[in-house]
Amino acid sequence: MTRALRLCLVLALCLGLAAAPARAQAPSADAVKAAFLPKFARYVGWPARMQLGAGAPFQLCVIGRDPFGRMLDQAAATEQIDGHGVAVRRLPSAAGAGGCHLAYVQGAAPADTGRLLLALRSQPVLTITDARAGPQRGMIHFTIVSGRVRFFIDEAEAAARGLSISSRLLALAAGVRQRR
Amino acid sequence: MRRPFRLPGRWSAAPLAIIAMVVLLLLAGIGVIVQSEAGYRDLQQQETRVQADILAASVAAPLDFGDAVAADEAIETIRVNRQVRSVGVYDARGARVAGYGRDGPQPPPRLSDLPTASGGAVTSSVPVMSRGERIGTVVLAADPEPVSGRLSRYLVIGLLIVMAALVVAVLGLAQSTLRRVNRQLEERADALAGANAELKVQVSERGKAEEQLRQAHKMQALGQLTGGIAHDFNNLLTVIQGSADMLRRPGLAEDKRVRFAEAVVQASSRAAALTGQLLAFARRQPLQPEVIDLNELIRGMTDLLDRTLGERIEVTTALTERACTVEADRTQLESALLNIAVNARDAMPNGGRLAIRTAAARDAERGAMIALSVADSGAGMDEDTLNRAFEPFFTTKMTGKGTGLGLSQVYGFASQSGGDVRIASRAGEGTVVTLLLPCSGDAEHVRTVEATSGLRRGRTGRILLVEDNDDVGEFAEALLDELGHDVVRVRSGEEALDRALAERFDLVFTDVVMPGMSGLDLAGRLAEQRAGLPVILTTGYSDEIARSGAGGHPVILKPYRPETLAEAIEQALGKEKS
Repeated sequence: MTRALRLCLVLALCLGLAAAPARAQAPSADAVKAAFLPKFARYVGWPARMQLGAGAPFQLCVIGRDPFGRMLDQAAATEQIDGHGVAVRRLPSAAGAGGCHLAYVQGAAPADTGRLLLALRSQPVLTITDARAGPQRGMIHFTIVSGRVRFFIDEAEAAARGLSISSRLLALAAGVRQRR
Repeated sequence: MRRPFRLPGRWSAAPLAIIAMVVLLLLAGIGVIVQSEAGYRDLQQQETRVQADILAASVAAPLDFGDAVAADEAIETIRVNRQVRSVGVYDARGARVAGYGRDGPQPPPRLSDLPTASGGAVTSSVPVMSRGERIGTVVLAADPEPVSGRLSRYLVIGLLIVMAALVVAVLGLAQSTLRRVNRQLEERADALAGANAELKVQVSERGKAEEQLRQAHKMQALGQLTGGIAHDFNNLLTVIQGSADMLRRPGLAEDKRVRFAEAVVQASSRAAALTGQLLAFARRQPLQPEVIDLNELIRGMTDLLDRTLGERIEVTTALTERACTVEADRTQLESALLNIAVNARDAMPNGGRLAIRTAAARDAERGAMIALSVADSGAGMDEDTLNRAFEPFFTTKMTGKGTGLGLSQVYGFASQSGGDVRIASRAGEGTVVTLLLPCSGDAEHVRTVEATSGLRRGRTGRILLVEDNDDVGEFAEALLDELGHDVVRVRSGEEALDRALAERFDLVFTDVVMPGMSGLDLAGRLAEQRAGLPVILTTGYSDEIARSGAGGHPVILKPYRPETLAEAIEQALGKEKS
């Protein structure tokens, strides 16, 4: 496959993704991240105590700053995982994050992000961070590679919290810190 | 034997069966191929679906996260399979996220634009599911196995079937050929059996024909013999009858009377010699062997031979000094020599030489022998004649001139005496007949031949004459009476025994062959009950004597001369007295 063809493919993909929400503008990086966040729940397994009852939604918590706003709410609303919806909770701190399945963590400063992550270490929650907000990494860490939203995965940390991440997701990651 | 009506049925049935089997085999082969093709299509459909499933599973995450590159990578693994013609990954809205076309164009960008049927390809469309939600579609089109590949696979099956069909055909043909050959063989065996039976019939017919031929030969030989003997006998009887008639004439001069009587005696003795030869040929002649000096016998016969052979034949003798004596019947020996000489004479109608030789000889089995050879300078014999020379009744002489018994007598005498006879001859070079006789090694009994002449009156006595034939009986009675004996004649052995036991006799003179008690039986009984009473036997020919001998009693052969009888009686009475 030639380089030109590959370019075409990427272009086509971008067009496809962009088609539904806004035909006029290309999706922003934040919009892509907002679309990604609820989908992570599909590829993660939680320990037994975090299992959901019938009809109960996955808890997607945004701790600290919320860069997504309505985009996240829209993405979560359309998500259906084995009959469970995804509910978005916004929390100012790690306190009250007990029922969270996923947590996007972004402090006011990079150091704050580190503290929040530290506070969540005792819980089986998939932590997600963004390179734009600082070097501190959660289990999933957004980044931009060649203009595309990609993510790193710290599988070792996830395993330490009792979470299992699907190999399919690992295959999509820009980099994986594997558990031993 | 042939059964052509059975052949057509068998012959048309065999190839039909073979053709039916071959057709069945081919149909079965086609069925197998069709089945295999259908199965293969199903299998490929299944395979394509499995591949689409695998792809759907592996593109779920890329679709979720809109990662076209990852989707392409997932497709990349499928591309290894060259049978996959095209792959399309569409998202939930039906837009193509990733795609692959082996031979050029990718699948259409919209799922709805996808053609329903695509040129013989096996197409599988599988939804991409992620945690219970349909997030897209994977469409995979694969080429069926190339025709050449399938064909080569079916070619193998086809070849196998064709080979099987061929085998069946060959086997069937071989079977029918075998059957045909068997049939032919059977027919041939039948024909052979028939031929064999025919041959057997022919053989038995031929055997019968041969038997008839042999019988005819026998009758012919018998006729020849009878003719020859009748001729000779008639000649002799003419002389005897004529002379006897002349003797009956009154007032016959004394010298004529003597001459006619002499003629009768001579003719009779020749007739006796003739019957003697017949018996010798039949080898049934009772031999009276005595020890003979061969040289002396030959010397005694030279006069006779000279007279018999005539003046034109010169007789020479060369007798060895070392000649041994032989034990043989004198009369027969003389007769043999005479027969050989007469043959030699007949072989030399214009005269010639006859050489008689004796020489010592030796035989591996029989020991010392003496060879008496008679060589003539006559015409000799060709090989065919030589081979048949000893054959009875075979003669080269004209009818009436010979009986064909001469050499037969020689042969019969020689073998009966424990000797042998050989002939060497070549046409135009004369003939040598050699008589081989075993040496007796006993010179004591040599006695010279003394010609008895005239009747001498010797001892006389009371003689019991036993003879069933009246003619011979009367003659013998007259003769014995003439010799001065007191004769009592009886006609049977039983009567003779009664008289011999009741009265006193000096001698019994008995015929051998009689109805009831034979002469030999009588002699035996007398030896038991009247020991010392001498018995003289007389016979023309007797099986019994030829078989078992005379039991020590003297035998006088008929026809006998008066002087022979007189001498025998003289000796018997002399023995009794002493």
